[in-house]
Amino acid sequence: MRKIDTRFGQVEYDPSNLLHFPAGMIGFPTLHDFIVMPNKKEGPLFWIQSVDDPAIAFVLTDPSNFFLDYNVQPDASERSSLQINEDDDCFVLSVVTVPKDQKITLNLAAPILFSPRTNRAIQVILENTEYKSKTPLPA
Amino acid sequence: MLVLTRKTGEGIVIGDDITIKVIELKGGGVRLGIDAPKTSKIYRQEVYARIIEENKQAVDWDMDTLDSLSNTLSTEKKST
Repeated sequence: MRKIDTRFGQVEYDPSNLLHFPAGMIGFPTLHDFIVMPNKKEGPLFWIQSVDDPAIAFVLTDPSNFFLDYNVQPDASERSSLQINEDDDCFVLSVVTVPKDQKITLNLAAPILFSPRTNRAIQVILENTEYKSKTPLPA
Repeated sequence: MLVLTRKTGEGIVIGDDITIKVIELKGGGVRLGIDAPKTSKIYRQEVYARIIEENKQAVDWDMDTLDSLSNTLSTEKKST
C-alpha cells in the first residue's frame, strides 16, 4: 500500500489497483493514474483522485442513473487504447461538474469509457451530437 | 506559429502520416480534407477547447458541496 496527501486528507491506495488513463483526461494529458474513491455517502456520485497530482480529483457518475438511453460504444481505436476486444465489457462514466450552488451538470459530450477487465479508461469527445458538455440533471 | 499559403487542391504533410488538403474556399470558410491514422483523434478546435474548459471546472469542487449534494440525490432516489 502507498499513501498520498490529497486535498481531502491522506489516502491509502494499492498501486496495483489504479484506474489507468493512457492519454490522461482531456486537458490533463500527464495524469495517467487515478484512485477510485468510493463515496462515504449513499448516492450515485463517486470520485477519482489523481496519484500524479494530489490537487486533482474528478467527480464521476454512471450517466444511466439519470439518462436511461445514453449509450456510447468504443470504436476500434478506442478499444485498442483500452486493450479490450469487441466482446469485452466497456462501461460509460460521466464527469460531473459540482458548482457551489449544487446545480450539477454532467458532461455527456465527453464521456469516459472504462474497461473493468484492464482497468484502463479514456475520455472521448462525441462530435456531431446533441449531447452537451453541461447537461443538467433531468427535472 | 508556422504560416503557409496554400491554394485549392494543395496540401501540407505533418510528420509521416498526416496530410491536410485545402478542398474548397467558399463563403469565407475553408473546407479541409484530412488524412490521418485512425489513432489520431481529430477535433474542431473550439470543441476540444470547450471540453478542456469543462474538465478544468470539474476539478474545482469541494467535499462539503458533494456531501450535501449526495444527501439530496440519495433521498431523491429513495423517494422515487
